[in-house]
Amino acid sequence: MEMFTWLDKPMSGMTFLNMALGAVIVLGFILGVVTYTIYFERKVIGWMQWRIGPNRVGPLGLFQTIADVLKLLIKEDIVPAKADRTMFLIAPIIAFFPSFMVLAVIPFSATHIFTAASNVGVIYYIALSALTIIGVVLGGWASNNKYALIGGMRSAAQMISYEVPLAMSLLAVVLMSGSMNLVEIVEAQKNFPYVWYIVPQFFGFIIFIISATAELNRTPFDLPEAESELVAGYFTEYSGFRFAFYMLAEYVYVFAMSALATTMYFGGWEGPFLPGWLWFAIKVSAFIFFFFWVRATMPRIRTDQLLSFSWKVLIPLALLNLVATAVVMTLV
Amino acid sequence: MSEENKAPEETVKPEEPAKTETQSEAPKAEAKPEAPKADAAPEAPKAEATPEAKPAAPKPAAAAKPAAEKAPEPEKEPDPRLIEAQQRLETIKGKIATKFGDAAIEEADVKKITPTLVIKPEYWVDTVEYVKTDPSLLFFYPEAMAGTDYKDKGYIEVFTLLHSFELDYDIALKVRGARDNGSVPSITPIFSGFNWEEREIYDLLGLRFEGHPDLRRIMLEEEWQGHPLRKDYVVMD
Amino acid sequence: MAIRTEELLMNIGPQHPSTHGVLRVVVKVDGEIIVDAEPVVGYLHRGTEKLAEDLQYTQIIPYTDRLDYLASMINNHAIVGAVEKAMDLEVPERAEHLRVIVAELQRIASHLVFFGTYLLDLGAMSPFLYVFAEREKIIDLFNRLCGARLTFNYMRVGGVKWDTPEGWVEEAKQFVQHLKKQMDMYHELVTGNEIFLNRVKGIGKFDTETAINFAMSGINLRSTGFNWDLRKNKPYSIYDRFDFDVVVGENGDCYDRYMCHLKEIEQSLRIVEQALDQIPEGPVMGKVPKILRVPAGEYYSAVEGARGELGVYIVSEGKDKPYRLKFRRPSFVNLQLLPKLLVGQSMSNLIAILGAVDIVLGEVDA
Repeated sequence: MEMFTWLDKPMSGMTFLNMALGAVIVLGFILGVVTYTIYFERKVIGWMQWRIGPNRVGPLGLFQTIADVLKLLIKEDIVPAKADRTMFLIAPIIAFFPSFMVLAVIPFSATHIFTAASNVGVIYYIALSALTIIGVVLGGWASNNKYALIGGMRSAAQMISYEVPLAMSLLAVVLMSGSMNLVEIVEAQKNFPYVWYIVPQFFGFIIFIISATAELNRTPFDLPEAESELVAGYFTEYSGFRFAFYMLAEYVYVFAMSALATTMYFGGWEGPFLPGWLWFAIKVSAFIFFFFWVRATMPRIRTDQLLSFSWKVLIPLALLNLVATAVVMTLV
Repeated sequence: MSEENKAPEETVKPEEPAKTETQSEAPKAEAKPEAPKADAAPEAPKAEATPEAKPAAPKPAAAAKPAAEKAPEPEKEPDPRLIEAQQRLETIKGKIATKFGDAAIEEADVKKITPTLVIKPEYWVDTVEYVKTDPSLLFFYPEAMAGTDYKDKGYIEVFTLLHSFELDYDIALKVRGARDNGSVPSITPIFSGFNWEEREIYDLLGLRFEGHPDLRRIMLEEEWQGHPLRKDYVVMD
Repeated sequence: MAIRTEELLMNIGPQHPSTHGVLRVVVKVDGEIIVDAEPVVGYLHRGTEKLAEDLQYTQIIPYTDRLDYLASMINNHAIVGAVEKAMDLEVPERAEHLRVIVAELQRIASHLVFFGTYLLDLGAMSPFLYVFAEREKIIDLFNRLCGARLTFNYMRVGGVKWDTPEGWVEEAKQFVQHLKKQMDMYHELVTGNEIFLNRVKGIGKFDTETAINFAMSGINLRSTGFNWDLRKNKPYSIYDRFDFDVVVGENGDCYDRYMCHLKEIEQSLRIVEQALDQIPEGPVMGKVPKILRVPAGEYYSAVEGARGELGVYIVSEGKDKPYRLKFRRPSFVNLQLLPKLLVGQSMSNLIAILGAVDIVLGEVDA
């Protein structure tokens, strides 16, 4: 176990190697998770829609996503002639990077092995996930395609609008636990009064889950890529592995957001009988399932309704929730 | 199902409720196989509801005819539908002739059971406007429009079918334009619903509509040579 | 301080997921607000009317299948009905019943596709797949009846081509009962959804006067509250024998058009149910001459298509081929109003409005 306790060690060759190794393992792990999240999504939505879903590649279609990703990777990398070449090439990377980086602070289990128990975990998550917007807007702009441009603009407007209630709902949890360290937030849910924050912060959780859906660009808030309106939104012109990057980023965020929700509101790895990592996996899967479920059920909201909903409803409510939490915390 | 059979403002008359009622009653009556007879009932009050300017008198007799076009006895000697259509034609012909003079009407005939009038192009717009707005006619529903190329007779004929909810029947009005560089006045300003139909006729038959707000080809591209629905159109390879 | 903004010219289509075919709408947008819109049609123009001039009347029937390809049976009905009326032909009772049954089943199938694609346009994916499963059952019924699944070519002048196979009527009856139950599920899934209501209520509104002036027909006209259904107002075939209501809306917005479609499915189910109960035994083809010669003259007759008044105008010179054949295509006529509806709306509303006008490009372009 000595080897894994590099977090509080001074930076040396060995710790650096361990850090690099940890990053690669997390990366590999996440890729696996994302692959099967996509598979899971297609299967679940398939069942909800009276069809089978992928069932050709491998047993039960288990290798479908792998085949899809391979196909995307070996496809020709097309850059439209009129596109802003450099920006076009960089944009997917900018969108993709932060999605992996946010995973650094997610506590997967009680024994915190590869991830960082950072003291500013919550802020770190919010700050980095906001970077993705730049990649999305840039991609939309650089494509020199009108659909992509509108998609990018919608995306920017939407993500900025929903970042605010998202952060504010998380801050209420921070107020309760008295820490921004995600590990400590989980620990705090073990203490008195022995309930997960979903109970005292139920209101905040509702705000959180709505904003999270919007932040993830998922139905009913999937306007940036509203297929029926904008063809494919900001990544209309992307193909091959650059398109795969956008897709990956999206699904990594689905995982990350579910992990964040689990940590903040559902006690992270906490749970009786089963090992911590399994509890974590179950809770995260439940969230991921929830997002898919919503996707199979809901139509898409309209842009103007989306924005006014955020600014006129969610943000005031989130503020109210924050103030109420603060008042209660002071009194108790 | 709502009972409201509301026609646009100008036609709303005190008689309206009566008409609406017959409309909503019809479905129940029609449930029985002897619908033709049952249908005659709503027909009669409707005839009375029409403004008296119209010769409503002969109508109740004719109303015995089933509204169903597919009459079970097509063989019976004087087809009541034909007689009725003849009367309708006379009425409309008379009205148009009084308004614009006999010169306005080129031909008047009953085609199958539709009163059909061919109007001179000079009177075309006025006549259409008249049958649309005259309170005793009110043919304000533009049902259909079609153009036909009569190569041997040297003109292109525009057929329009108008429906009056008030009188509850159709009339066909026609206008003819020369095949070579011909044109007829456009009635799109009167019936917006004929906008694309006129464009289609222009496109496929090559008859121009003077006063059309946006006369361009609609089905074919602008560079297309010729007008396919003309009888002498040669298909290019 | 005024910010200088530029209008963006966008081509929605001809290749676009939500134009339901090859429609192109050239829109000028200011931000996401449409300031000008112009539909461009003709990408699917096959010259059906020109082709028909060289075809015998029976040969025209398969071409009508391709007009409104979601409602081929009704198109068949329009052309054979027009020829029969022109020639005063009699159709056997059983054939008339079969025609009504297939036409109404087709209307249901067509409206189901509307329901599915409309929700797909609005971003809900599941209803689309549900209704296609239902539609599949109708298509299977048709398949057993005439061996085709999309372009049926089922009706003939003077009757229908095939009689029902063994057990078909029973199956159809079962399907009617099944779909009746399903309809509640669709309402539960979609009609009460707040997001859906927010996107369709009060959107794409027009009044009866506009609709009539723009020659609209079918649900587009009825949704404004105007009671006009050719099956009632100019009864053709044997529609006057069945008990059904004409569904009308109130406000003429997208929501009303959506509701009219769903309610019309229920009414069509009623008609099919009655027709299946009353269907008599007997021949399915009447006595018709070998070569159909429509007497010289001009004829117009129309049926209530899935999208509105589907009229056929025949000019005959007494030959076996029409001198001129014109289809009054409801989609084509209804589409004219689109620019008026779109100006001032947002891009998202464009899809909602276009979807609710419910066009089929095969019919628009003929």
